[in-house]
Amino acid sequence: MLSIAAVIVMADYFLKIPGTSAVVTDLQNWGVILSAFALGYGAVNLFYVHTRHISRRTPGQWPYSICLLVMLVLFSVVGVSLKYTGPEYQWLYNSTLFALSATIYSSTGFYIASGCYRALRARNSEAAILMIVGLIVLLKNAPALAVGVPILVTMENWLSSVPTTSAQRGIMMGAALGAIALGVRTMIGRETGFLGRLTEAER
Amino acid sequence: MSKQEKNIWEKLENLPREFLYGLLLIAFIVPMINPMGLPLPVTPEVKKWYDTIEALPSGAAIIIDQGYSGGGEPECGPFAVAVYHHIFRKGGLRVIGVATTQEGPLLWDKAMAEVNPEKYGRKYGVDYIMLGYFAGVETAMAALGKDLRALTSTDYKGASLDQYPVMQGIKGATTVNLLICYTTGGDQSEGWVRQWYTPYKTPYLCNVLALMMPTMLPYMKAGQIVSLTSGAQAGQMESLVKVPARGIAGADVMTFTEILVSAFVVVGNIAYFGRRASKKKA
Amino acid sequence: MAIAMDLASVTSIWLAALFTIWAYSYTFRDNVWFKFAEHIYVGAAAGNLIVLGIDNVIRYGWLPLTKGSMLYIVVFLLGILLYSRYHGKYFWISRFPLALMVGIGIGLSMRSTVTSEFIAQIQSTVTMKVLGVADPWTAFSNLVFIIITLCVVYFFVFTFPGIHKGNLGIISKIARYSMMAAFGYSFANGFLSRVTMIFGRLDFLKSQWLPLPGAMVALPIVLVLLVYAMLPAEKRPWPKPTKSK
Repeated sequence: MLSIAAVIVMADYFLKIPGTSAVVTDLQNWGVILSAFALGYGAVNLFYVHTRHISRRTPGQWPYSICLLVMLVLFSVVGVSLKYTGPEYQWLYNSTLFALSATIYSSTGFYIASGCYRALRARNSEAAILMIVGLIVLLKNAPALAVGVPILVTMENWLSSVPTTSAQRGIMMGAALGAIALGVRTMIGRETGFLGRLTEAER
Repeated sequence: MSKQEKNIWEKLENLPREFLYGLLLIAFIVPMINPMGLPLPVTPEVKKWYDTIEALPSGAAIIIDQGYSGGGEPECGPFAVAVYHHIFRKGGLRVIGVATTQEGPLLWDKAMAEVNPEKYGRKYGVDYIMLGYFAGVETAMAALGKDLRALTSTDYKGASLDQYPVMQGIKGATTVNLLICYTTGGDQSEGWVRQWYTPYKTPYLCNVLALMMPTMLPYMKAGQIVSLTSGAQAGQMESLVKVPARGIAGADVMTFTEILVSAFVVVGNIAYFGRRASKKKA
Repeated sequence: MAIAMDLASVTSIWLAALFTIWAYSYTFRDNVWFKFAEHIYVGAAAGNLIVLGIDNVIRYGWLPLTKGSMLYIVVFLLGILLYSRYHGKYFWISRFPLALMVGIGIGLSMRSTVTSEFIAQIQSTVTMKVLGVADPWTAFSNLVFIIITLCVVYFFVFTFPGIHKGNLGIISKIARYSMMAAFGYSFANGFLSRVTMIFGRLDFLKSQWLPLPGAMVALPIVLVLLVYAMLPAEKRPWPKPTKSK
């Protein structure tokens, strides 16, 4: 089923076979709907794990599990019954998820600053290059310095357009080859990791 | 070298993290309380972004992927808002919003509340619309590009698309003049290249987190992206559009914090080499 | 109604501010307030996924079905079968819808990856001019670009033994140095990203929370409670640490 779907989708792109266009349109729409169904996987897992914590009264965890499940149910009930485009859901989102998401994402900035202090040290030639390039870009990213010290902009432009872009291009091409190889292996059945756990017979 | 001097190098090399965090907080708070209006240069990429939208003819349709999450809103949000100001003030353009992240429609509402398109005389359904979140990332992008109307018949509030003049003639990627993506995810920014630019050659403007810029640079170099910018350049876009907001307000903070962290790097290296030299002498 | 709306906004800002401060507290030390905020975040994120998932299923699946596209019954069946993976005996049934999803994804990504991440990149590299360029610095930069790209692609070839050893080791060395430059660039830009994000939250606290009545009084109290929560359990007079059996 996997290979057939993949071949049909690829054939529609490279060849003009009558009838495949409509089939691929339907397949893509089905893919969106199935992805939507799959969004519930995380919630089901969370329910399973945290109800176990609550039933077993795991010390230091079960009160937090209650909070988690209450929040999950609250969001689900409000979003489904009152629509997620309504002001109630917006209120809930702005008060909790948005604030927490933005804060947790940004808190790694403190660790990166500490990392700049501890890790960007010229211990050897490679670390020295990492440090020098990092330092130039850090200084150029200060807007007032970029205006006051134009040589920083020239150096950063060269660093971004030559070594960074070329290295990233090389990495991208290597990754693309790997992705193609992985796709072919999956299509011929050599990669079965996505299938999940094995049946008794397969073991 | 005496034992006391050796301790100085070791102390300097192992400053406690709370001290570093405290200094960083001060570097944030001082320019916020006392803004200095330090200069802010406009880079060629932001200018190109601005000129691309400016050059769009009347009636042009723009698909905008509100693809950033709540975590990336402080960075991508100000840039997106500045661009919306530009588009709505220019007028004559049709904005079709889609979202490839779950928080996209909610952040769209947030951005629209900040922009207030009605003050430019723009109306929902006539000048702009939000189609909602589409699960599946690249699968959704491919489906939207091939036949948008086959995938969805309603906007994000469930109202039929047929009643909205903004959707007239919009079928898929071939009927769209420009693709804009604001995103915090590599899946989205690269996915649009694969699913829209590669088959349909739709011009593509991409705004990502600053840390994602290096991975997207090869696409821009190969001409697959018209202009690649980061959310940290929001202040530049605000100065071009002449709507000062969070981006310009953050420019002073960027100067202070970047200089401070550069000082961290220099101090760390001085301490490292100082300790090595003192060990050799001993 | 106007007073109720104002109260709703004020409550929302207060909640958001408290969650912001509690979430940031982890940078100094783990504490109960952070754990609470973290679990709220995970629950809210999962709830949001459920809401958007149901919305997608209804708008893109149920609506076409009610309008006569009976083939969508198959999609609904496949979607429900996805959840058979939680069954002890019949979990293998979920492989069918999963295979369809993976197959569509592979087809979509592979068909364009060859063009966008391989051919277009090669095209862009080989069309870079080295000879006949007026500016010698541009010619030099283009030459360096081509060399680095080739070296980095070579670096990731592991098929043949010994191709990274001996005199050929210089190619890997050039690749490593240029990747270090790229990673240094990424690292510095990563900090820039986080600076703008931290500024966004601090700007919210300063411009939306602190002007509210009581916020200036609450801020030192919240900070004292946080510092107290970060103290080691033995040094806190309350709550007493529970002794493990």
